Amino acid sequence: MKNIRSGITFGIVGGLLTFLFGGWSVAVIGSLMGVGLGMVIIGKLERKNPMQIALSVLPTALVAGSILVLFSLYQNNFVQEAIGKRPAAVNIVLYGNLIGFLGAVLFTTLLAGMHGLPAKQEQQWRMILLAMLVVAFPFIDKLTALRWTAQIIFALIFVILGLGLNIVVGYAGLLDLGYAAFFAIGAYTTGMLSSGAHNIHINFWLVIWIAAAMAAIWGFMLGAPTLPLRGDYLAIVTLGFGEIVPVLFKNLINVTIKEPFTCWILPMFKIQTTCKVFVENFDLTLGEKGISPIGRPWFPFFGNLPTNVNTIHGQWAIGSKWLYIGEFESSNPITWYFLIIAIILLSVFVIRRLRDSRLGRSWMAIREDELAAAQMGIDPVKTKLAAFALGATFSGFAGAFYAAYISGIFPSVFDFSASIIILCVVILGGIGNINGVIVGGLVLMTADRLFLPALKDFLASLLTHTILPSISDPVVQLAVKDNANPILYRFLLFGLTLVIMMAVRPEGLIPNPQNRAELHAEEEAPVVEAETPKTKKAKKG
Amino acid sequence: MLELKDVHTYYGNIHALKGISLTVNDGEIVTLIGSNGAGKSTTLRTIQGLNKPRSGSVVLNGIELHKLPAHEIAMLGVAQSPEGRMIFPRMTVMENLEMGAYVRKDLTSFNDDLEHVFSLFPRLKERVTQKGGTLSGGEQQMLAMGRALMAKPKILLLDEPSMGLAPLLVELIFDTIKKLNQEGTTILLVEQNALMALSIAHRGYVLQTGEIILSDSAQNLKNDEMVQKSYLGVE
Repeated sequence: MKNIRSGITFGIVGGLLTFLFGGWSVAVIGSLMGVGLGMVIIGKLERKNPMQIALSVLPTALVAGSILVLFSLYQNNFVQEAIGKRPAAVNIVLYGNLIGFLGAVLFTTLLAGMHGLPAKQEQQWRMILLAMLVVAFPFIDKLTALRWTAQIIFALIFVILGLGLNIVVGYAGLLDLGYAAFFAIGAYTTGMLSSGAHNIHINFWLVIWIAAAMAAIWGFMLGAPTLPLRGDYLAIVTLGFGEIVPVLFKNLINVTIKEPFTCWILPMFKIQTTCKVFVENFDLTLGEKGISPIGRPWFPFFGNLPTNVNTIHGQWAIGSKWLYIGEFESSNPITWYFLIIAIILLSVFVIRRLRDSRLGRSWMAIREDELAAAQMGIDPVKTKLAAFALGATFSGFAGAFYAAYISGIFPSVFDFSASIIILCVVILGGIGNINGVIVGGLVLMTADRLFLPALKDFLASLLTHTILPSISDPVVQLAVKDNANPILYRFLLFGLTLVIMMAVRPEGLIPNPQNRAELHAEEEAPVVEAETPKTKKAKKG
Repeated sequence: MLELKDVHTYYGNIHALKGISLTVNDGEIVTLIGSNGAGKSTTLRTIQGLNKPRSGSVVLNGIELHKLPAHEIAMLGVAQSPEGRMIFPRMTVMENLEMGAYVRKDLTSFNDDLEHVFSLFPRLKERVTQKGGTLSGGEQQMLAMGRALMAKPKILLLDEPSMGLAPLLVELIFDTIKKLNQEGTTILLVEQNALMALSIAHRGYVLQTGEIILSDSAQNLKNDEMVQKSYLGVE
């Protein structure tokens, strides 16, 4: 019965989403909904024969699929009209809904059926299924003309950032409120070394490593002064760094470096020297204008040779012309999508190895109790610096990718709100849990990038076509029109999400088992027992 | 083996240890007794490097511990079962014990040592997958000792192992300390329960407001009139 309820919830949420996107979206939403529903309900199922489990969830799947299709049909016949669009063509409606329905039912039952397999096999098959979906997604997206991939890529950038921050906050327990600083350092390193700003054009495949190394070095340097600090004090200092870095990038537009000895100290004693100037009035970061365009990755195996290759990429292109077979273009998000998926896979692999290593254990010991950890022989200095540096490394990757993908960077992107959004990703997903952070990043950023703009368009057309004509008072009409823009309430919604999460599910969507045990101790059987001589005796006897 | 010479330790402006000198020889159980605030725990924290002495020296087998940070002292084979236990509350019992073995480079005998800890404290074996923070007080004490033992220490510092425990459990813990010593571990034991401590120790020191006022064999201390009056409750 509980499963049916999840089915109804999923059906309604999926159905409402079709309101925003319309057309083919029902097919994609149906399939994704099936996967989500399957993942959610298998946790509550017992392991038995795969066929039996699949059949037992079939009613749930059918209910979810039917609700979705009902909403979608309603959308097509009534809502489209209300927002001033014509209903989609019959064949899109027919096939879209059919695929959506079947996708929902198929994936729910498939995932449930897999639960009947032994745990390890189930895990493998689930990974295979997810991998297939991840690979198929951008192509389906292109076929159905939904144009979601470009926005999903933003979500994936924040997934990497979340994974990096998770090392610092989740594993080592160091609250970092200025993590976007490292994102900025990664992006600006890429921007400066791979653009016309200083006429340096280093290959993206190389510059991404330089950016990561740069972020790591700064992570190390910014970590060092915070070592004696704990808790709130540490958070405040990192907050300061987070503020300083974007301001620096904004203002490093007139850099002059003189040698102090010949320029200031000797003249003080009235000694005549020629002042040695290293750099004068040098525009390092181009300030508010930002750096643009930024070089893009290219791949030897795809695409056609651009005709203007030498002019775009300067000297680096000349010697390696044969490599110039395909450049990543903003019009084609698929290549970018697979690039960032590859970076995420690499990051997840490395972070998992780190977590299970000796270093990972010392992070967790430091998080639990720093003094006790020192007594165990753990060097708190090295351990914390490693957390800062490694955490920053991943934001270096994200920064390099971001700079190349947008092909332009501006200091305002990396301000405090970016740090907070990354922290929200980690908290929403589940502190200390890799899968949780991935889900958190996807949910939060797709909501921000995909859902809110779509909702804005939807509301705007709904207002102009249905609601506004029925309001007679022009003042009210204007007020409604101006305020019905959900993007205005972006941060309000972020805040609300956090408040609700903390109240309802403080351990995150997919919690780290340790946190769950702690926060829901009263729900599980209490294990603390009073030690009295009596019970002790009884046990002996 | 371990020698403290004229150690002065401060907490800010508070002069906690006013020139402590003591020695612990190989294979001994030495106990430090004294009332609240006498500086017993501070002495152990100073040995462990958690507090640095302002003057004086702490030497273990010729190595000057007072110049090293805490984690390097742990690496040299000094393990402590701290006051208030300081176990890792969100790690399982097993993970806590594994953390104890963090200092060891050679892990070939890890499983044997684990069995050894479990044979000393069978309760821990029943609770291996449980979180440290959910254990009862006595079990946490056992875990703290077990964790210290997993480091295979040259010298084991025990801070108030009997604190807050039921009488039967105190006996069990003291039996275990004796057993450990017979197996060859050198032990420095800090205790408020002076009677118990003196009954298993070889030698003892009496601490009062940061100074050692008496040192003798455990037997003699037990018979000392002042000790009897102040710490053993004999009228």
